[in-house]
Amino acid sequence: MRNRVREQRTQRGLSQAEVAAALGVSRQTVISIENGRYLPSLPLAFRIARFFGLPVEKMFDPDGEEAGR
Amino acid sequence: MMSFIGPRWRKPAWMVLAGAVFAAALVIRGGRYWWLWVSLVAIVMAGRAFLFYMLAAEDDDVGALAGSRADERQNLLSLRSRALAFNVIAVAAFIGLTVAVAIRASWWWPFAVILGITGLGYLAGLRAYGIAEERPADDTDAQHEAPSPIRS
Repeated sequence: MRNRVREQRTQRGLSQAEVAAALGVSRQTVISIENGRYLPSLPLAFRIARFFGLPVEKMFDPDGEEAGR
Repeated sequence: MMSFIGPRWRKPAWMVLAGAVFAAALVIRGGRYWWLWVSLVAIVMAGRAFLFYMLAAEDDDVGALAGSRADERQNLLSLRSRALAFNVIAVAAFIGLTVAVAIRASWWWPFAVILGITGLGYLAGLRAYGIAEERPADDTDAQHEAPSPIRS
């Protein structure tokens, strides 16, 4: 599963800590999601998509390769 | 239940409580050196509580778990670790029971109790988190049943 969390975060000039604080998760979890090591729950995936102002299917691509690869 | 205690203090508070209960058991047991054992338990549990309190300040997964502020991924990590611990306990208890039976030892029963408790715990987990949630599917009603595309 590929996601665009890192891409969207860097485009907005945000740090991982800032995104983590906004989403109510730890910085380590944001790092894990960006690296494709952790697939967020559905509620968290929607929170991420809402935070970046994108539809969830734009943030997470089930057909793409993992971001960390 | 523990919301009136700050997150960083919750696990240390549980450890102090557990230590106090165990120390009370040692006092009830009595004996010549009961105070020595109680002191030992107090030192060990206070040390553990202090260690967890210090770990909770760390900005990592262990710190988040020790400080009772874990998010969903960290809770999942903890859950997997506990599942692994459960498996290890069950295998160790089975080996212990097998050895005890083979050598006709009288201490077989604690292993059997542990095995039984882990098995019952697993069944309780299935009931609490899985089986109890099962309901007939909504589409079992014949009036609403859609024809299967593979039906001949």
